[in-house]
Amino acid sequence: MAWRLIQYGVHSIFESMAIDEAIFLHTIKNNASPTLRFYSTSPEAVSLGYFQDAGKEINLEKCQQEGVDVVRRITGGKAVFHFQEITYCVTAASGEPMFPKNIAGTYNIISACLARGLGYLGIEAFLAEGKRKAADGDFESFCFASPSQNELLVEGRKICGSAQMRKHGGFLQHGSLLTSFDAQKTASLLLPDCGKEKAATIKKSVTALDEHLKESLATSEICAILKKGFADQLGIELKEGRLTAEEEKLKNILIKKYVSTEWNMKIISMFRPDFNQEENK
Amino acid sequence: MKLFPEDLLYSREHVWVRVDGYMATIGITDFAQESLGEILSVEFTDIDDYVERDEPFGSIESAKAVVDLISPVSGTVISINEDINDDIGIINSDPHDTGWLIVVEMDDLEQLDDLLVASAYHDFISQEMHGV
Repeated sequence: MAWRLIQYGVHSIFESMAIDEAIFLHTIKNNASPTLRFYSTSPEAVSLGYFQDAGKEINLEKCQQEGVDVVRRITGGKAVFHFQEITYCVTAASGEPMFPKNIAGTYNIISACLARGLGYLGIEAFLAEGKRKAADGDFESFCFASPSQNELLVEGRKICGSAQMRKHGGFLQHGSLLTSFDAQKTASLLLPDCGKEKAATIKKSVTALDEHLKESLATSEICAILKKGFADQLGIELKEGRLTAEEEKLKNILIKKYVSTEWNMKIISMFRPDFNQEENK
Repeated sequence: MKLFPEDLLYSREHVWVRVDGYMATIGITDFAQESLGEILSVEFTDIDDYVERDEPFGSIESAKAVVDLISPVSGTVISINEDINDDIGIINSDPHDTGWLIVVEMDDLEQLDDLLVASAYHDFISQEMHGV
């Protein structure tokens, strides 16, 4: 069986969110094969879970001062600072036989793929067995402070935070794998009231690739190894591909949602693009 | 042990319906709440909105996922469970009763014919679970 691989690239968070959703919509509409995508984000950005409130759950003022983009995802979960990290995204349609129709089972399979890839990098990662409470209630809105079941830990610390959305039997799951971790900077953006002590507390529960890699690797090299982890774990072939014309069209529609204050500040909650909507509308 | 009350009808999207004339009270099934885990947030379409069968009437978030709530019938939303605002945990603890979500005034009772009775829903879940 063959999946599509969208090669690693660097995009704004708005464009990446639009690409991920466009791939998902195209996949479920056409019952297409799953897609795996890796990307990084520039400029730096904070993404919020679908139900999070930017005004309450991150330091929005600090983000604005620092020129950090803020976007609301269509997936659940908590806030992520997209800086020195690789985001993966997996989309699959209803009835994809290798994935169960439940949230935890899907997490489990994707985490196993990532763990295999990390193993090829010489990093032993384990699945969190149960929901662990954040060290401090102040960190509840920060994704990496609270590993969920089947998320990845290295030496007991979270290295990858993931979030999922399910519609029409299909799913989109994306997650952030840290290549390095700046606790102070992260805490200053994600915690409304941050001091050095809080940053130190966060640091105890989070790790990143650079703490474990024996040699420095380019991000594209890491992605190639992670790709092999997926291919070997699932017994699939990953064929490099590009966005289809329909996905490009959808992306151009959806990016307007992701840059809008209405979407990001939860003034609107529902946005369902029409597949036939013209690009310039 | 999952609960399958026999006075309810069930959709393949794991939503139940309690029918009273043209009124359909709608919620998620015990199987759904157990699969989702702890439910953290929920949002609905507004009262007086029209919902289409097999289309979303809202979204629900558990620990790490957002899932659409799919309406099993078409009709106008006439009531939303305000108690959820005070204690969202009732969706997990009592999904078939106090954890109901919305009430829809149906305009086509024949749509109910496509829903499953308790025993058929039980079989459907068994097939889904064993099919993966």
